Amino acid sequence: MTTSAPEPLLALSDVNTFYGQAQVHFDLSINVGRGHIVCLLGGNASGKSTTMKIILGLVKPRSGEVTFDGTSLLGLSTPQIVRRGIASVPEARRLFADMSVRENILMGAFVRNDRTEVAQDLDKMLALFPKLGQRLSQRAGSLSGGEQQMVAMARALMSRPRMIVMDEPTMGLSPLYVDRVLELIRTINQEGVSVFMVEQNASLALEIAHEAYVLQTGKIVLSGSARALKDDPRIRDAYLGGSEAA
Amino acid sequence: MSSWLDYTINGLIVGNVYALVAVGLALIFGVSRLINFAQGSIYLVGAYIGWVAVVQLHTPLPLTIIVVAVAAALVGLIIERFGLRPLQNSVRIAPLLATIGISFVLDQLVMLTFSPNPRALPSQLPDVRFQVGGGTIGPLDLLIAGVGLTSALLLFVFLRYSKLGWAVRATAQDRDAAMQMGVDVNRVNQAVFGIAAALGGVSGMLVGMYYNQIDTAMSLQATLKGVVAEVVGGAGNVPGAIIGSLLLGLVESYGVAVFGTSYRNLFAFLLLVVVLVLRPNGLFASARQAPPEPLTGTFIAPSRPVRIPRWALLVATGIFAVLPLFPVSFYVLQTLINAWLLGMLALSLTLVAGTIGQVSLGHAALLAIGAYTSALLSLNLSVPVGLAIIGGGLMSAALGTALISPSFRLRGHYVSIATLAIGEIVSLVILNWESVTRGPIGISGIPPLALFGYELVSPISIYWFSFIVMVVLALLQGRLLGSHLGRSFRAIRDDDVAARAYGLSLNRYKSLAFIFGGFAAGVSGGIAAHLYSYINHETFNTQQSILALTVVILGGLGNVVGAILGAVALVGLPEVFRVAAEYRILIYGIVLLLLVRFRPQGLLGTM
Repeated sequence: MTTSAPEPLLALSDVNTFYGQAQVHFDLSINVGRGHIVCLLGGNASGKSTTMKIILGLVKPRSGEVTFDGTSLLGLSTPQIVRRGIASVPEARRLFADMSVRENILMGAFVRNDRTEVAQDLDKMLALFPKLGQRLSQRAGSLSGGEQQMVAMARALMSRPRMIVMDEPTMGLSPLYVDRVLELIRTINQEGVSVFMVEQNASLALEIAHEAYVLQTGKIVLSGSARALKDDPRIRDAYLGGSEAA
Repeated sequence: MSSWLDYTINGLIVGNVYALVAVGLALIFGVSRLINFAQGSIYLVGAYIGWVAVVQLHTPLPLTIIVVAVAAALVGLIIERFGLRPLQNSVRIAPLLATIGISFVLDQLVMLTFSPNPRALPSQLPDVRFQVGGGTIGPLDLLIAGVGLTSALLLFVFLRYSKLGWAVRATAQDRDAAMQMGVDVNRVNQAVFGIAAALGGVSGMLVGMYYNQIDTAMSLQATLKGVVAEVVGGAGNVPGAIIGSLLLGLVESYGVAVFGTSYRNLFAFLLLVVVLVLRPNGLFASARQAPPEPLTGTFIAPSRPVRIPRWALLVATGIFAVLPLFPVSFYVLQTLINAWLLGMLALSLTLVAGTIGQVSLGHAALLAIGAYTSALLSLNLSVPVGLAIIGGGLMSAALGTALISPSFRLRGHYVSIATLAIGEIVSLVILNWESVTRGPIGISGIPPLALFGYELVSPISIYWFSFIVMVVLALLQGRLLGSHLGRSFRAIRDDDVAARAYGLSLNRYKSLAFIFGGFAAGVSGGIAAHLYSYINHETFNTQQSILALTVVILGGLGNVVGAILGAVALVGLPEVFRVAAEYRILIYGIVLLLLVRFRPQGLLGTM
């Protein structure tokens, strides 16, 4: 097909979200193309994490539309959305701290019923994240932050998602792990999984993203290809504005 | 003469029974951070289903166990689906209140169906005892131990190896993250309630067989013991709940061995209070701080209270003041006197639970302290009744505050558990401290109400006396709420961390609230003692604490006029509609449930 604008995998259009009286999103529109890495940048309290929650059905918008592969996600529960093929790496990883690393990774395959293939996928994860091999029977809560991030990513991949949404995947990690995580996101993406990630660290995120959006107090103030945005002086301005508002 | 081994065996068996209840509570708390006060009612239902199966259907024992487990599980599923799931997005205290309402309804339904008289529940097992060391053990002991161990093993396998079991554990650790893995938390809740109810029901049946007696009083006792065991083991911790139960069983059994049967429950509740104060996370938790509870949103949010114009209040007060001058029946006056006494208690509770946010489930203890103090002062020391009542109020304020003060550092549900336990402790101390309280005999011949040497015997004078006392207390409380102090109370309720950050000392303000509230409740209890002329340790029971809570929620938490309106409504309406006495508690339970579900802000709105 050679249409000029192929249908995006995930589309938020004109989303308005409220927490009580306070409006969090103002006519938010975001598209995530198939096979793309799309990054949502913004400072504190810009509405980034709420965007994640909207996609996952944890928060319902007051108006607007959210579609995944052409069908609406509004009105679906979080588990139903997960079954449609969206996996998540939540903010601060949110592992099941008292369960073992193996159990955590396998929890990612909760929606699947093909046991043998799940077992194969677990081996695949251990190949992708070799460090986790020695940690399998350890309590997830006892791992370092970077290792926990690996578990969270492995856990998300185990559902064989079509898209992964990540909330600040590099937050609180050592520089070594930051590079490793970004590299892994690229690897995951090359295997055909679309990625939507929320980040504060603009320069890092724009290294790997195809497109990016800049969110400031609930409004998209800038969007375009990552390459173009990287050189855009307004990125820095948007950032400073966002930080001041926080 | 029983040997120590016998007491140990008895403790472990009873502990096993507690464990069946406590494990269910722990599962539910783990998944939904809810203390299920209806657990004991399911246990009661289990016992009576067992009775029907054994005595009327003559089922063999294995079948009886299965019937009880399945039927109890169904009750659990119904509670979850219709009682609790609609409250998913309400404030955190709502489901707790709902389980209290559900337990009232279930207990009363059982009582109405089977009558309150105890029944025998034969165990169908041969009555032989085997010599083991210096003690003896019977087939029923072995059955209870077997059921306990089997359940623990099945539960372990379920949680460890089944998909649903994984979902339960994941949900307990991080509900949102579990949802993001595709876990349907409603199904998890269902599973957990079903399992908890099955275990609870079987436990009730086994206890009925153990004592060969079942009655409706079992319910509250089972809930209390289960909660004690669960909190001792660490809320939400399943293995902890089992160990906590065995420990509780042993502590009780040895306590009974040393001090006698009437001390059994006292040890249980003392253990609870000690654990709550020293290690609110349970004995086996590594962290000593209280389990995380959300800082805000625990409580029913202040709504826009209904504004009642001052003239309307004056007119209403005037009408009630002159009411006895008109030809109204003695019956109406009597009903309203009860309403005024309950109104005083509600004023106290609406301040403590509504304004400063400490949902007390043991408020009847304040009545009891006031009543006993006033009665004993006037009987033993010949203090004039008017002064004795004030003495009751002061004693209630002082002692009540002192008893609750170690629990000031607790939050949310834990406050409710602690106050419930303290309420029970007060009642048990009254029962056992015979030299002062005359123990189970109670105090009779309490002098009638009197003021300045004049006895108030006519209903009209009693009416005016109680009405005026209540109005004075209400006016004082209204002033209090409008002052800087009232604002500080509300700040602590809404966000205690923020309140502390602004320099408010939580202990001081909580003490002040309990002192004021304790005085009002104590005065109410004191008046009641002189009115009834006889009181005992059961005159002021947990049912009254819950009734007061229902009154307060009905009127609107924190709302002074609402508390009085709620008291008049709950005391008056059953009289107006001539509801038979045995249906009243059922109605109170239903009112509580409907309020929590449809109008948590009450009639006049929370303040």
